[in-house]
Amino acid sequence: MIRCEEVTKRFNKNGSDVISLDRFSADIRNGEFITVRGPSGSGKTTLLLTLGGMQRPSAGKVCFDGQDLYALSNSKRANLRSSQIGFVFQMFYLVPYLDLLGNVLIASPGKPGKLERQRAMELLEKFDLSNRISHRPDELSAGERQRLAVARALLNRPKILLADEPTGNLDPENASGVIDHFVKFHKTGGTVVLVTHGTAADGFANRSIRLDKGRLNDD
Amino acid sequence: MQLWAQIICEIGFRKLNAFFSFLGLTIAVIIVVASQLIAESDERETRRVTRDMGFNLRLIPAATDLGQFYRDGFSKYAMNASTLDRLATQLTNNVSFNHLVGSLRRGYAVNGQSVLLVGLSKTYIAPGQGKKPMGFVIKTNTLHIGSEISRFQGKNKGDTIQVGTQHFKVSNDPIETGTSDDITIFARLEDAQSILELEGKINEIEAIDCLCLTTDEDPLTILRKEIGEILPNVQVVHKQKLADARAKQRQTREKVNAIVLPFVLLASAVWVALLAVFNVRDRRQEIGILRALGKNSWRIAGLFLGKAVLLGFVAATLGVVLGMWAVLEFGPSLFPVTKKAIQINPSLALKLFVAAPLFAAFASFIPAMLAVSQDPAETLRED
Repeated sequence: MIRCEEVTKRFNKNGSDVISLDRFSADIRNGEFITVRGPSGSGKTTLLLTLGGMQRPSAGKVCFDGQDLYALSNSKRANLRSSQIGFVFQMFYLVPYLDLLGNVLIASPGKPGKLERQRAMELLEKFDLSNRISHRPDELSAGERQRLAVARALLNRPKILLADEPTGNLDPENASGVIDHFVKFHKTGGTVVLVTHGTAADGFANRSIRLDKGRLNDD
Repeated sequence: MQLWAQIICEIGFRKLNAFFSFLGLTIAVIIVVASQLIAESDERETRRVTRDMGFNLRLIPAATDLGQFYRDGFSKYAMNASTLDRLATQLTNNVSFNHLVGSLRRGYAVNGQSVLLVGLSKTYIAPGQGKKPMGFVIKTNTLHIGSEISRFQGKNKGDTIQVGTQHFKVSNDPIETGTSDDITIFARLEDAQSILELEGKINEIEAIDCLCLTTDEDPLTILRKEIGEILPNVQVVHKQKLADARAKQRQTREKVNAIVLPFVLLASAVWVALLAVFNVRDRRQEIGILRALGKNSWRIAGLFLGKAVLLGFVAATLGVVLGMWAVLEFGPSLFPVTKKAIQINPSLALKLFVAAPLFAAFASFIPAMLAVSQDPAETLRED
């Protein structure tokens, strides 16, 4: 599904070159549940953003279903993100002025129709948020916010979920609830790449990648 | 989610930012409306004042003795009527005068009464100076008579009066003016030429100067030079008080248009732009996640430009209403215009409904581009 070939990402920080990903190569196959681990600054988030077409690598190639992701135009890459990739972040990144339904429907590529609304309602129901659709994110608990972020990521039935420490701000109970949703998505054939420090997903992941200073340390 | 729905929700959420943008735009619209209406009113007022005062430039044959001219009210010399045509052809160029009327003026006796007989040509108006001639228009076979003539001759509107060998119908209700107009008969130029047996002649051209001068420039020198180049055989008499009155009116309008308006527009643009920059900064993470969700640059720019357009349109609506009300209410006490001269301008309102949203979008353009060019990965990796 996603092939990384010698992917390197360099940043310039305060005049010095920092290598966040160093000749990273790996294959992510359809239906895999992969956890990505590593110490802070090891390049986990960079890897996730690069896999998701959000951050152009300094060198190397990222292929998504055989297409060179960064050879696509910005608009085609945006379309691909919208239709095939779901993102979930530790900080939720919900739109503060939209209600819950609006926050899910914001992921809709165009004007949401009846089907999208129905899908959004189903997701809110599934994530136990249907009784709060007219609330705003700041009225939710951290667990509820993250469930909402997962619901948003799933609206367009993506092939892959890229999650960056989604349980980092959650208590163990809520963390386990969120992981359950990733597991359910995985069981329906979805691919999950989960950056995590925790152990909640250990029993479900069928592969683990370890990064150290931007290098693949263990696969 | 639809763009407009999202914009409206965001405005409702960040009320203060939207309110201050709206306020800046509304004030700008109010000032544009007010200055434009005042300028238009001032133009009307100037025309009215000038019309009431009469022409302020008198061109008379060069040989005229000014002592005789001021004593009698006309030059005893005459010039060819073609002089007027020559001057009129220059009106299409950038000349400093307009509204030309040629006249033939002479003392004359009507049934034992000494009167001033004035034959008036048609009015030549420079392009862009309106269509209405100054003063009144005299129709064929009619005369316009002063109140003293009316009293002495016992003639009123509709009556027939004999002047020389010709008969004319009185076309006006004579009203006492307290000026030489009370003993003046106004006729068509051709009729006056025929009565005075001075066919093809005139002895004066009246005009209005349209010099837009600063206080340190001498209008008479400029006018004499310009007219002297076209008609070397005339001398120019300038009614300074009338010219000053016109200049004062004009300068009031120009001050508003040249200083206040650009300043207000610039200040408003900077204000709206700054608020849009703050808005972009506040929404960095939102922009990042929208990018992650696959929203393209048009959509991101649309959020900011659309907001500006919406606020601009609402500001135009309120600003037009408030601006027009303010001018009607306070204009006559703050500016040298009368309430009668102030008129609502629907086309200005329509223009502003288009211009204000465009102006707001223009002011928000750079912030919108900042939003578009923002690296979403940078914001999404922030803890």
